[in-house]
Amino acid sequence: MATHAPTHAHTDHGHGHHAPPKPLWYWWKRAIVWTISGALAGIALVFFFRWAFGFSNLWEPESYYTAIASLAGIGFVIGIGCFDWWWAYLRGKHVDFEDHSLHGAKTWRDYLRPNTDHKVIGIQYMVAVFTFFVVGGLLAELVRLELAQPGFQIADGETYNGYFSAHATVMIFGFVIPSFAGLANYVLPVMIGAKDMAFPRLNALSFWLLLPAGAMLAIAPFVGAFSAGWTAYPPLAVQGTTGQTLFEVAVQFAGASSIATALNFLVTIMTMRAPGMTVWRMPLLVWANATTSGLVVFGTPFIAGSQFMTLFDRVVGTNFFNAANGGDVIMYQHVFWFYSHPAVYIMMLPGFGIISEVLSTFSRKPIFGYRALAFSTVAIALLGFGVWAHHMFVSGMASWLRIPMMITTIIIAVPTGVKIFSWLGTIWNGKIHLKTPMIWALGFIFTFVIGGLSGVFLGTLTTDIALTDTYFVVAHIHYVFFGGSVFTIFAGTYYWFPKMTGRMYSETLGKWHFWLTFIGFNGTFFPQHWLGAHGMPRRVADYDERFADLNLIISLFSLFMVAGTLVFFYNMIWSWRSGPKAPWNPWRGRSLEWLVSSPPSLFNFDAVPQVVGGPYQYGIPGARHAVVYAGDHLGGGELTETELRTVLVVANRTVASSSLLDQVKARAEEGYWRFTIVVPAKGDDHRAADRRLQVALAVLAEAGIDASGTVEDLGPLEAVKRILEEEPAHEVMLATLPTGQSEWMQQDMIDRVRKASGIAVTRVIVRGDDARTAVRSAAVQRIAVIANDTLGDAGLVSALQARADERPLAAVVLCPLSLDGPGWTDDADKVRDEATGRTRAVIQRLQDSGIQAHGEVIDGDPVAAAKIARSDYKVDTVLVCSYRRDSSEELLGQVRAAAGDTAVEHVVVDAEAPAAPSGA
Amino acid sequence: MAAEHTATVSSHGDVAAPGRGAGISQGMLAMILFIGSEAMLFASFFTAYFMVRYNIAENDWPPIKDLATGERFEPPVLGTGVNTAFLVFSSFTVWYAEHRLKHGDRKGLERGLIVTMLLGATFLAVQINEYVHLGFTPQDQAYGAAFYTLTGFHGLHVFVGLTLLWICYLRIKRAHDFTPQWATPLGAASLYWHFVDVVWVFLYVVVYLI
Repeated sequence: MATHAPTHAHTDHGHGHHAPPKPLWYWWKRAIVWTISGALAGIALVFFFRWAFGFSNLWEPESYYTAIASLAGIGFVIGIGCFDWWWAYLRGKHVDFEDHSLHGAKTWRDYLRPNTDHKVIGIQYMVAVFTFFVVGGLLAELVRLELAQPGFQIADGETYNGYFSAHATVMIFGFVIPSFAGLANYVLPVMIGAKDMAFPRLNALSFWLLLPAGAMLAIAPFVGAFSAGWTAYPPLAVQGTTGQTLFEVAVQFAGASSIATALNFLVTIMTMRAPGMTVWRMPLLVWANATTSGLVVFGTPFIAGSQFMTLFDRVVGTNFFNAANGGDVIMYQHVFWFYSHPAVYIMMLPGFGIISEVLSTFSRKPIFGYRALAFSTVAIALLGFGVWAHHMFVSGMASWLRIPMMITTIIIAVPTGVKIFSWLGTIWNGKIHLKTPMIWALGFIFTFVIGGLSGVFLGTLTTDIALTDTYFVVAHIHYVFFGGSVFTIFAGTYYWFPKMTGRMYSETLGKWHFWLTFIGFNGTFFPQHWLGAHGMPRRVADYDERFADLNLIISLFSLFMVAGTLVFFYNMIWSWRSGPKAPWNPWRGRSLEWLVSSPPSLFNFDAVPQVVGGPYQYGIPGARHAVVYAGDHLGGGELTETELRTVLVVANRTVASSSLLDQVKARAEEGYWRFTIVVPAKGDDHRAADRRLQVALAVLAEAGIDASGTVEDLGPLEAVKRILEEEPAHEVMLATLPTGQSEWMQQDMIDRVRKASGIAVTRVIVRGDDARTAVRSAAVQRIAVIANDTLGDAGLVSALQARADERPLAAVVLCPLSLDGPGWTDDADKVRDEATGRTRAVIQRLQDSGIQAHGEVIDGDPVAAAKIARSDYKVDTVLVCSYRRDSSEELLGQVRAAAGDTAVEHVVVDAEAPAAPSGA
Repeated sequence: MAAEHTATVSSHGDVAAPGRGAGISQGMLAMILFIGSEAMLFASFFTAYFMVRYNIAENDWPPIKDLATGERFEPPVLGTGVNTAFLVFSSFTVWYAEHRLKHGDRKGLERGLIVTMLLGATFLAVQINEYVHLGFTPQDQAYGAAFYTLTGFHGLHVFVGLTLLWICYLRIKRAHDFTPQWATPLGAASLYWHFVDVVWVFLYVVVYLI
């Protein structure tokens, strides 16, 4: 991650964070201790109350499970450190409101503890939710396995109910809702030009609250899976097994997490927009998240309320839903759906925002009907609060409520239609680029329209009465959740993957992922419309024989989605580790997140950006969304990717050293710099200087760094002046040998260059052997030269020079010296000395001609040398040099065998000489 | 605690984006939204209460009879009414505390907070005492469930409000926090306290009076 020195002066007077950061294990040890303590406290608390109130049976599992789960969850969040700052605050300590001690990630370890950087939290969310996605997906496959044939295959009815209930709950509360929170967490603050979210510590808390929720849902099956579906209707939810208790506690944790995130988004969007970012210049993703956050803040308490009541009925023995004592089960459904219908839009509106971003960018056109799209988002949210009872048409609720609810439901199709047609208008006549995010977006429109149309069937009272609780409903919900929400999540994940990881994903694999999923998805869920219309009930493990064939086909198609998901994970993991480096703006997007580096620096912007126009003005000459300024350390002015600032690197013999190249790479990581290398070679061998320069350029090109270079027949001072006349640079990097060995230092070059150029000069000190020995890089070919007598021959050096001119190389000279008998005679010493001398001489000659070289004399024959070249030096090519008369095919064959898969070439130094007689 | 986002001057001399919601700090905004969320939580329980009540004939409400006398249970309107007055009065005292801070009177601020917390604690104590003497439990009828859930959740919120005020008090005593210009955490806590008060007035009218 590209980081600068902290840009906030506040770190100077922060308190308590000058101590070295604690190791990862410290946080997790604390988390484990607190989790266990929380669980024990739960047991003690329930025991105490049951004892104090004189209950006859002290052991009543449900109440214990409730207290253990709640307090262990809270304990975990405290232990991992989410409350440390607040704890200091409420004890009256002097705390720093701008405490950045938990901000930003340098290694993977920083992702495994609370972090206040919205970018880190965004990635934490995405990794966690895709883990939940795998869990939910496996549960779905268990469901399809059971349904592949009529009768009971792998589970009885109760277990089967557990499968689909856990599948739905994990997918909804563990995947879809938090994944939008994760994506928006990463990009939304950057999109509005903010340095972070409004409440970074609350943001961290939101994420860590999600983990106990996920853990409880995962543990639930082992204590008796909850089987009342994700809707958890009483009376079944009240009577069900212990897992149901964990479900209800988990929903409270997930709900608290979403409310905290939503509050954070709302305040961030309201107060932290960059200057010029009026509401009508906000990207539609920001509109979508603002609206969704409103739904979460005002809707989620209703599911909390409904789950509290169910929990009390289960654990405390109240009678909310017991009709015999004046309770009302329909009431649960009213309270539950008053949240859970808006929740449908909580799971869809951010996706609409993602689709708006993607379609406009990849159609290279301004979004069609920006204000209509923004208003329709708000309209959907408002109308969404007035349609809840359409889930309850046949529940036995007050019948007068049915027609009004049907009407409001159908009215929602209007703003949704506005969106679909605006998107089609955006693509219309656009210059469409079919990149992976775009394909997912187009696939989304296709499947979501189908889901929307089947929604009209279900929203209409007359047809709904026939279709309620059939597979038609299952098909509908999956067309809007999977074909809708999940497709948008994939679109967003691919779209922002380069921004989040700094690497590009594989387009080919992305397209494979799409087509496998798209075919699998439609093959799985489209036939379910038919099944439902013909009366196959949902949520039942067994079914009628006549549905058998179709169900088998459905189960087989679901395997396509598994394959697609595997491709997706392979692509994500592989690309994150070793994909090609991503540029700032791979999609030529206009919104602010594309105007900063990939990934953005620690506080996103070095200076506050100025927004000057709308975010989607593609193809409009001269139009722009925002101006991002460079910080003072970059020389101020506007910051754009295409105008990287130049660093002038001055080096001669040290140019190909690993210490200089590492320094250049570290600077390039910051994302603002390109490099011009000048080799002042006055009075030196120009060919040699050029060879060294080519090595350096090859290494930098391999690392994806923009660099160019020249050899100048000038002294260093003149060379710098020359280059600066042609192009302005912001800094000079001067590489020299250590002071005692450096001619340039004797001439006081640092100071003179600084005075002559008027810009900052950074000195890089390079040790002599570092400058002479080979730098490890895939761009530099490593060649082992195995030769003895021929070492002194000019032909060998010129052969290597010719190769170096073709492609940069580094040489290892190995001189095999096999002495027969004991090696301590005077004669042997002399032979060895001569060999050493020859080796030294050739290394010197190679280095003088600009080829980095080192080597050794090897006690053994050429075969042993080849083995060493392969195993110790790991060379790409072995060159065996000999005179024509000494050439032996037999020995060459042995060398080839010893070198294994390393290429072996034979160089005959005196190719013109007559062939040696056989056996010589 | 919501962090006040003050304009920050970086080491490079540029100034962070100013807050755009002129006149309102981020902390207060967050508290207002959070109160909206809390209001919806109470709305869900009131929904439950109304639906339970709707199912029962008017002359049969509340559906609890004293086992000994056979008489219909009557909510303790008078005692709780006095208690309501305590809570309403505490809203004025917390306002007074904030008002004194505006005039730079820190002693007045502390006194106002202490009186508020005492009134709040009295309210809770009276409420617990009422629970003990009501004569029915949460397990008696859906009415009992709704009654205890509503009043219990309100009591919990009073407790949270007291905690927030107590934290503010600690900050004043130990860290000399809050100035007439900047008192966002105090403002947020007092707003929450007003909310708890308003909810109680509504609850008292709905559950006890009508």
